[in-house]
Amino acid sequence: MAPIAETYSLGLPVEIGSIDHELKKLWRESEGAMTRASLMNLAVYSEEPGSLKKNTQLMARITENHACRAIVIEADCNAQEDGVDAWISAHCHVSRAGSKQVCSEQISFCLNGGCTTQLPNIVLSNLDSDLPLYLWWQQEFHNPMDPQLWTWVDRVIYDSRPWQDFQAQMRLVESAQAEAKQRIVLCDLNWTRLDKARFALAQFFDHPASHHHFAKIKKVRIDYASGFRSTALLFVGWLAAQLNWRSEKTDGENKLQFVGSSGRKIDIEMRQRDGEPIHEVAVTAGDIEFLITHAKCGDLLEISRGKAGGKRVPQLMPAGKNDSVSLMSEELMRGGPHHVYLHAINCVRELL
Amino acid sequence: MREFSLSPFSGNLRNLRIRMNRAADQPEPNPLREGLATRPVPQPCSIVIFGATGDLAHRKLVPALYNVAADGDLPPAVAILGFARRKKSDEEFRRDLEEATRKFSRQAVRDEIWKTFAQSIFYHQSEFGDESGYKRLAKRLDEIDKDHGTRGNRLFYFAAAPDQFEPILKHLKAAGLNETCKGSWVRVIVEKPFGTDLASARELNRIVHNSFTEEQTYRIDHFLGKETAQNILVLRFANAIFSPLWNTHYIDHVQITAAETLGVGTRAGYYEHAGALRDMVQNHLLQLLCLTAMEPPTDLGADSIRDEKVKVVRSLRRWPRNEIAVNVVRGQYTKGAIHGDPVAGYRQEENVNPDSQTETFVALRLFIDNWRWADVPIYMRVGKRLPKSATEISIHFKKAPAVLFNKDLHDLNVLVIRIQPDEGIALRIHAKVPGTSFHIEPVKMDFHYGTSFGKASPEAYERLLLDAMSGDATLFARRDEVEQAWAFIDPIEEAWHAKKDVPELFFHPAGSWGPEAADDLLARDGRAWRRL
Repeated sequence: MAPIAETYSLGLPVEIGSIDHELKKLWRESEGAMTRASLMNLAVYSEEPGSLKKNTQLMARITENHACRAIVIEADCNAQEDGVDAWISAHCHVSRAGSKQVCSEQISFCLNGGCTTQLPNIVLSNLDSDLPLYLWWQQEFHNPMDPQLWTWVDRVIYDSRPWQDFQAQMRLVESAQAEAKQRIVLCDLNWTRLDKARFALAQFFDHPASHHHFAKIKKVRIDYASGFRSTALLFVGWLAAQLNWRSEKTDGENKLQFVGSSGRKIDIEMRQRDGEPIHEVAVTAGDIEFLITHAKCGDLLEISRGKAGGKRVPQLMPAGKNDSVSLMSEELMRGGPHHVYLHAINCVRELL
Repeated sequence: MREFSLSPFSGNLRNLRIRMNRAADQPEPNPLREGLATRPVPQPCSIVIFGATGDLAHRKLVPALYNVAADGDLPPAVAILGFARRKKSDEEFRRDLEEATRKFSRQAVRDEIWKTFAQSIFYHQSEFGDESGYKRLAKRLDEIDKDHGTRGNRLFYFAAAPDQFEPILKHLKAAGLNETCKGSWVRVIVEKPFGTDLASARELNRIVHNSFTEEQTYRIDHFLGKETAQNILVLRFANAIFSPLWNTHYIDHVQITAAETLGVGTRAGYYEHAGALRDMVQNHLLQLLCLTAMEPPTDLGADSIRDEKVKVVRSLRRWPRNEIAVNVVRGQYTKGAIHGDPVAGYRQEENVNPDSQTETFVALRLFIDNWRWADVPIYMRVGKRLPKSATEISIHFKKAPAVLFNKDLHDLNVLVIRIQPDEGIALRIHAKVPGTSFHIEPVKMDFHYGTSFGKASPEAYERLLLDAMSGDATLFARRDEVEQAWAFIDPIEEAWHAKKDVPELFFHPAGSWGPEAADDLLARDGRAWRRL
């Protein structure tokens, strides 16, 4: 059957009013060989021309690990005429449990014209009931944001890295969050990008005997790739928030100074270089350096600690990947609120 | 909408999340750990595996440690020291382990990770009874502490045969290896069987406690490391809908099945003396029963949970000798077929006595004599060479009042917790068949872990090794749990090995669901085993 077998096409064109009916038909016809699974509604919104196909390919891979109802939307808000086209399809994968295929359904929409008015209705009328709604917003946010939609969103996922005006965008997100009067969790993929590096640094300090190093940190160096300065700044914000540092002064774009609770100065140096988004982090506390660097083989981090010039026993751990599928998979695995992210942002908001 | 608490346990779920971010060993939370989904890395340590050239180390322990390392969860300073009789160099030992890990690891072995991991593996050749071997071990561990920063923390894993436990423990003590320096810890993991009866279990505990305290002792039951076994607590105490129904007022009976298609294989030497009751019921099945039947603990601390579990075993009804045959059925498989292939009977298996009286199948009818479970029968069955491999717990709810639609309904609502394979939860309810008449049929709502969560669960040993390194004993059996379990099992074994009035050993063909007597156990109560 065409819509099931094909994972990269938009699938079967359907009338807007009969999406539910067509989906039921789809599953009735493939009953036995396939199982429909869903843990969430994952709505993906983009205004980039051609994004529907690109996002369909992403969903095919994301659904390997995250069963969901995908609602993929491409919008052309400047189109002369209003209109909506819709398709249904399914992404099927052989499950870990056995030979049965596990399928996530996708409803694709092409919106033309009045995006603001069409979008909430399109999303809300096609939700899989009682499951959370995750909204992956691939655009900069519009002003004003539509409270009708936001009231129903559980987690909004975005990537702040390419934002031109971080503060304005954040204000929009935060005011929408406040207006919605419910706990929308803000999920920034730029923050997700830091997950493995944060884990790598945190594990140095899991042993209580190592906590005294916090009070001796005097220097942090972060090497980042071109285009990832905001990622590096978020990392700095995280350290500042968790270790109670206060921003003191900036010296050019990449030299910062923070002050610890005891009045101790901490120098931050950010260096742009070729490599991974966050290529290397070195934290110096007293005469000990805690080093995280990308291993030569790419998707591993090499971590070590020691005195300058002293012997080190490096350890390898997963580095994570920077592509959309990996970042989304990582983000979807996490639950709960991201308070730490909000604290981190507040520490470097002026610098972003 | 008003927010309300799901149950008194919801506060404990918050505690669980806090605990997830703080290992038992780490009283001071690490501020950089806040908000990270991963658990804290345990403290640096040396792991000494006694019986390091054996099956368990090769198939389970080292692959588990490799997976933990590959996930970045192993401390940066860790050393794995294999202790065994055979002569081997560090390099030879590493090569053996690499081969085994490539074969048995949950995830593919990556050369670069193995290379780093292998640097922390060492081999120590000694007889288990050779005192000088332990003195050399102590010296070597001190050197490893110095070179690798393992800080004097030691985890001794007893993967050797149980008859070696005593000399190992004695010599560890003689060499001072049971003692801790300031700020360091020493722990010992003991593999089952924890004795063969109450007396031997007490003796084993006495021997262990001559060298280590109960807090240092981790009795491993890998069933408790399984994701679905842990999920029983979440299902029961994080879902408000089940809590009011989980008692004698609404539950008709409970069934626990642990079936396997495999025969005794190469374990005949052990199995001939153990049998299914000792091998499976005393530990795995009673642990599952405890998780199913226990009261909500006051918190998620290791002892709070184990306190509640042990109460269940203590409440199990004990039968007088003459009632054992009425409530416990033992069986043994004869030749038959599995998946269409003919297989030999138990007595024809290699290294099995041709007149063996060892049970390969047991079915029990139990009662937990407490307020919650009064008069609710628990039927348990375990066996080898059964038609399929499955471990499941099923909760059979009472019938709805026999009025309206329910006059002719024979099926009960059943909640099934599948432990392995195809882990998940299913609920059988009644639904009207479409049509003009009121025809009602059972339908099944089914949740599969493998379908809903793409991510593979860690192996039980991964979780349990990390817990032991972190000092979290929640998923390990405590001394009183083990002893109470034996106190329940012993009278059954004694009846089976008595000189007269011995309960019959029933035979059943391999590939069947056990002897008819096992069916009669339920039929007498007007019930039947669930169809798996």
